[in-house]
Amino acid sequence: MLLLDIVLSGLVLGGMYALIAMGLTLQYGVARIMNLAYGEFLVAAAFLAFWMFTGLGVSPLVGLVVAVPLAYLANWAIYRVLLVPLVNRAKTQGQLEVDSILATFGLLFIVQGVALVLFGGQYYSYGYLSIPVSILGTTVALNRLLALLFAAIIGVGLYLALTRTRTGTAIRAVAVSATAARLVAIDVRTASAFAFALGGALVAAGGILVSMFLTFNASMGVIFTMKALIVVIMGGVGNLLGALVAGLILGLVETAVARLLDPGLTLAATYLIFLAVLLVRPTGLFGVAAR
Amino acid sequence: MNMRHAPWLALGFTLLLMVAGLPLIASGYVLAVAISMLSFTALAAAWSLFSGPTHYISLATVAFFGIGAYTAAIGGELMPWPLVLVVAGLVGVAVALVVGLSTLRLSGIYFVIFTFGLTELVRQLVTWYEVNIKGTVGRYLFLDIPQAVIYWQLAVLTGAVLLIAWLISRSRLGLAARVIGEDETVARHAGIDTTWAKITLFAISAAFMSVTGAVMAPRWTYVDPAIAFNPMISFQVVIMALLGGTGSLWGPVLGVVPLVLLFEFLTANFPNAFNILLGAVFMTIVYFLPRGVVGLVQDWWPQPVRMPAVTAPRIVDDAVLAVNGLGKSFGGLVAVHDLSFRVEAGQIVGLIGPNGSGKTTVLNMISGALKPDTGSIHLCGRRIDGLLPDRVATLGIARTFQLVRVLGSMTCRQNVEPAIAFRARPSSGNALDETADTLLARVGLAAAKVHMPASQLTYIDQKRVELARALALEPKLLLLDEWLAGLNPTELEEGINLIDSMRREGLSIIMVEHVMDAVRSLCDHCIVMNAGRLIAAGQTTAALADPEVVRAYLGGPDA
Repeated sequence: MLLLDIVLSGLVLGGMYALIAMGLTLQYGVARIMNLAYGEFLVAAAFLAFWMFTGLGVSPLVGLVVAVPLAYLANWAIYRVLLVPLVNRAKTQGQLEVDSILATFGLLFIVQGVALVLFGGQYYSYGYLSIPVSILGTTVALNRLLALLFAAIIGVGLYLALTRTRTGTAIRAVAVSATAARLVAIDVRTASAFAFALGGALVAAGGILVSMFLTFNASMGVIFTMKALIVVIMGGVGNLLGALVAGLILGLVETAVARLLDPGLTLAATYLIFLAVLLVRPTGLFGVAAR
Repeated sequence: MNMRHAPWLALGFTLLLMVAGLPLIASGYVLAVAISMLSFTALAAAWSLFSGPTHYISLATVAFFGIGAYTAAIGGELMPWPLVLVVAGLVGVAVALVVGLSTLRLSGIYFVIFTFGLTELVRQLVTWYEVNIKGTVGRYLFLDIPQAVIYWQLAVLTGAVLLIAWLISRSRLGLAARVIGEDETVARHAGIDTTWAKITLFAISAAFMSVTGAVMAPRWTYVDPAIAFNPMISFQVVIMALLGGTGSLWGPVLGVVPLVLLFEFLTANFPNAFNILLGAVFMTIVYFLPRGVVGLVQDWWPQPVRMPAVTAPRIVDDAVLAVNGLGKSFGGLVAVHDLSFRVEAGQIVGLIGPNGSGKTTVLNMISGALKPDTGSIHLCGRRIDGLLPDRVATLGIARTFQLVRVLGSMTCRQNVEPAIAFRARPSSGNALDETADTLLARVGLAAAKVHMPASQLTYIDQKRVELARALALEPKLLLLDEWLAGLNPTELEEGINLIDSMRREGLSIIMVEHVMDAVRSLCDHCIVMNAGRLIAAGQTTAALADPEVVRAYLGGPDA
C-alpha cells in the first residue's frame, strides 16, 4: 500500500512541520522578529534528547519536560538581551525585520558553531520505540505515531490557550496591531517576549519529537528554519490554522516526492509549492490582505 | 572632470598601478590572500549594488557564485575562456530573472526568505543532476590558468563592478533604488516602475557574482556542489558589505580588507571555533556599527550645506479627468458605488463626505493604488483605470498621502528629485538639483532646509516636501488627501494661499478635505459622498446646502 504509506508518513512529517511553524508564526507574527536561527534551537533540542536518551537512559518524552521550559527561558533571555535593543532602535517595522534578520543570521552561525564543536558534522539517531505498528495494512513505527500524537496535543493546547484565555487574546491582539493593542492597555513588550519565548519552547518540543524518528546533524537547523518559514508564509503570517494546513500539505508533498521521484528533489518541490501559493495568493492560504 | 578631481585621479592611478603590479613581486601566500580580497570585494560590491539601496537583504550570493563556478567547470574545456565568463554571467542573469520575477513583485520579506533557501535549492538541483544524469557528484577541473592571471581577471572584474556601481548610483536607476529602500509606495507614486528597477539591479548584481565564481573556479582542481555552494560565502559577503557600510561605493572595500585578514587569522588559529567567532563578529557589527565604517565617517564629517538660487516657473496644461460608474468593494463592504464626475482644466474639485464614505478609496483608484471593480477613469481622453501607480504618475496624476509620507533619511531635495527623474519629461544632472530647489521654494520650504533629512522637519514642512514631490511630476491633475488637516490657523492660511496659487497657474486639483472653510474658499465644485455613494454634486455653496449633505454630516431626525 504505497499510497497509504505515503499519506501516513506525510501526515507525521507534516504534523511536525505544522508544530514547528506554529512557533515561528508566534515569533514573527506577534514579536515581529524574523528569526533565522530558529531551526538551530530545534537541533539543540534534538541533541539534548539524544544525550539524555543515550547517556542517561531518559525517555525523550520525559525529555520534553526538561527541554521545553529550558528553551522557554533561553528564548526569553535572547529576546530580552539581544532583540529588545533592536526593537527600540527600529523606526519602522521594515527596519526591525532587516535588523532581526541580520542579528539572528549571526546567532545562527554561533549556535551552529557550538553544535559543530560539540558534536561534529556527522549524523546522529537513536532507537526509541521503533516498534512496527500495523495500521490499515501498512506499518508505521510507534515512535512516529507518538510524535504525531504529542504534536497534536501541543498544537490543540496552544490553539485553545490562544483563543480561550486572556493572555491568548492579548497575544492575538498584538499580532493584529501592536499600536492598537497598546490603546486597549495590553502590555505589548511583555506579550511579545512571551510569544517569542513560547515560540522557542514549541520548536524545542518539535526538535525532541523529530529526533525520535529522524536522523539529524549539527548543520540541519537551516533546513528546518527554511521549511518553517515557508509553512508560515504559505499559511498566512500569524495564522495557526493556516500553519497546520500548510504544514500538512508540505509533509505530504515532500513524502510523495521522496518516495515517487527522488529524495534529492524534496526541497525543489517545497519551493515550487511555495511559489505557486504566493503567485496565486500573495498573503498566504489563510492570510488577510495587507499588513 | 575638473581640476578638483586631479589629485584623486592621480591617487587612483597610483593605486591602480600598485594593484596591477602585485603579482610581479608578491609571494604565493600574499597573492592568495590578495585573490581572496579581490574576489570578496567584487562579491560584496555586487551585493551592495542591489541590497544596499533597496534594503532587500539577499542571502543568496553563493548561489550565483556557485552557478558561475559550475559554468566554468562544465564549459571550461568546451569554450574559449572569455566566452565561458560571458556565459557564466548570462546564466546568473537568467536565474536572477526567474527568482526576481517570482519574488520581487511581492513584499521584501518573501524575497529574503527565498534567497535564504535559494542556495540550498540550487545545490540540491545540481547534486541531483550530477548524480542522476552524469553519474558522479564531483568534477575535476583541468584549467591551466595561473594564479597571477586569475588575480588580474579579478582586478579588472572588481574595477568593473565598482565602475558600474558608481554609474548606477548617479543614474535614474540608482535614485529609484534609494527611494524603494525608503518607501516603496512613494516610489510608485513618484512614477518609478519598482518591479523593473529591482529586477534590473538584482540581475546586474547576480551577473557579477556569477562571473566572480567562474573566474575563481580554476583555483580548485576538484569541485562538487558542497564546495561550490558553501553557504559560508554568502554569510561572509553580507558581513563584509555591512562592516563597510552599504550606503557608499567604497563601503565594501573598507569591509573586505580587515575581514579577509581576520578570517585568515581565525582559520589559521581557531579552525574549530571559526563559525562561532564569525557569528560573534557579525553580531558586533549589526549591533554597534549598523551603518558600517562609512556611516561612522559620515557622522564625523557631515556634508556641507549649499544655498541654492530660487526662481519659480510653472507649466500650464489642459487637464480633464472623467470618472464613469466607478465602483470598488472590499469583500462584502461596498466602498464606492457607481460614482461619476468630471474635473475641468484649472478647476479645484472638493471631494467631501463623512469618515468612511469612500473618499480615499476614490483617490486610490484614480492614482492607481487600487484597481476599480467597475467603471472607467479617463485622463485627457486616455483610459487609465487599472494601470499601475507609476504609469499613472508618469501620465500626469500626482498625489499626496493622508498620513504624510516623506523619505525620512533622505534630504528634502532628494525627496523631490526621483519624481523629476522619472516623470514623462525627465531632467537629469544639475537641472535635477535646480528644479528640486525651485519646487521646494515654490511650496514655501525655507532654502536652509533643502539639505535637511526630511524626518527632522516639522509636520507642515513634511507636507510641503510631499507637495513639492507631487508637483515635480509636472502633473495635469493633483490629488490632495487632507493636505490641510492638522495645520494651525496661520499654516492653514498659508496652505490655502498656496493651493489657490497653484490653481491660478492652471493646475487641476481634486482635494479630499474636512476643513470646510478651505473647501468653501478654494473649491469651484464639490462632490459629496456618503457610504460609498454620490449624494450631491455641483457648485460648492449649493452642494453644501443640500439637505442630504447636511443630514450626512450632522445626522437627520432618524439618526
